[in-house]
Amino acid sequence: MNNKRHGSIPARPGFDAAIAGKRAECDGGGLVAGGRAARQEFTGMLTGEYVDHGDPPWRWYLLVDLSRKPEGYPTDAVWCESESVFLLDD
Amino acid sequence: MAKKNPLHTKLCDMLGIEFPIIAFTHCKDVVGAVVNAGGFAVLGEAMHTPDEIAADIKWIRSRVGDKPFGIDLVLPASVPPADTLEQLLAKIPEGHRKFVQGIKERHKVPEPKNPVALHQWGGLNQEMARAQLDVLLDERVPVFVSGLGSPAFILKAMHERGMKVFGLIGKTRQAKREIEAGVDAIIAQGYDAAGHTGPIGTFSIVPEVVAIAGDTPVMAAGGVTTGRHLAAALCLGAAGVWTGTLWLACRESDSDMIVKEKLLAATSDDTVYSRCISGMPMRILKCAWTEEWGKPDAPAVLPAPYQMLLSAEYIQAANDHRRPDLMTEAAGQGVDFIKAMKPARQIVFDMVDEALAAFDDLTGDE
Repeated sequence: MNNKRHGSIPARPGFDAAIAGKRAECDGGGLVAGGRAARQEFTGMLTGEYVDHGDPPWRWYLLVDLSRKPEGYPTDAVWCESESVFLLDD
Repeated sequence: MAKKNPLHTKLCDMLGIEFPIIAFTHCKDVVGAVVNAGGFAVLGEAMHTPDEIAADIKWIRSRVGDKPFGIDLVLPASVPPADTLEQLLAKIPEGHRKFVQGIKERHKVPEPKNPVALHQWGGLNQEMARAQLDVLLDERVPVFVSGLGSPAFILKAMHERGMKVFGLIGKTRQAKREIEAGVDAIIAQGYDAAGHTGPIGTFSIVPEVVAIAGDTPVMAAGGVTTGRHLAAALCLGAAGVWTGTLWLACRESDSDMIVKEKLLAATSDDTVYSRCISGMPMRILKCAWTEEWGKPDAPAVLPAPYQMLLSAEYIQAANDHRRPDLMTEAAGQGVDFIKAMKPARQIVFDMVDEALAAFDDLTGDE
């Protein structure tokens, strides 16, 4: 695929103290072979770190210490789109 | 007093369409046929480059004129740490490689003729998704459908250009979040659906979402293939239906004829909800691959993306060599009702006639 058509999109990191350390679920997922959407669910702790991609900003939070993740998921961290994050402690 | 047309819903008013039937398809010809028959159609473009999307939009406009249509993209909702293809392939356990080799030998799976499509495709990240969205903004596509992931961050920009934004969800809390963000319609997709879908049945998810949607139209998705399904969806409170499998075997569809024949012959029992293709649960037609991974001695299915890397070569070979026993396709449980390769226009009209007959049956009209 042509990933360069619109050039590199700026990503601005930041930290949101209000959510740092909170437990959250992520209704995640993405695209798989064949152009189909696939859902993946995670539960873990928000570090408070985020990245805003492009303009208008598209915010992503870092979820770590995953207590629930797809079977065999290889790492203990995932970046989650902000609107797909649901806080468990509120 | 004039009787209300039960098929004229708020979705019809919003889009200026005659029938509340939405076709989701990967085939441009199906989009043209359904839109020109009075329904609405959405072209799935998630795997296409920005330039390809722009060309397809131009093609559709040349066929449907000013009538509205939609483009579906998949917005990532979670992103794992990045690895190269080589790094990913190196992490696949040896036992799984041997099991797949056994499948190839038992079913005489030939080598693919073409490069494995998944290996050629770079994947979807935030940058690619934004480049695809930029095309939709530039072209002011009438409707953008987010097949996964929240479109909230792009809503304002799209609304400022006069576009509508629909969100497809598998859980009520996702619908609530998107409705609060201001999407124009929600597609509530149930377990019966083709492809990757959630665990909640269509008959439960649709009224759940309708109950919280207020004035936002809700479309029912998952297993919808007949006019009776359309009538039932409207009775559940939906303003329309989202249909996918129905169009795979229509005359205009560019699906392989072997796949069409398999769909026409299939019953609802011929689909399976399995993680063996992608590592995530998806509903597909049964084939040699699904049969093998369902055996008691099969190893545990790997997570995405490793399982899809395992299955990619098999799928490429099956399609390249057009082997009916190996080929598969995403299909919903409503596949049982697809019995003829009809023109898309005829499918729309048959669905409308059957829905109206179902309502007449309910109200006792002759």
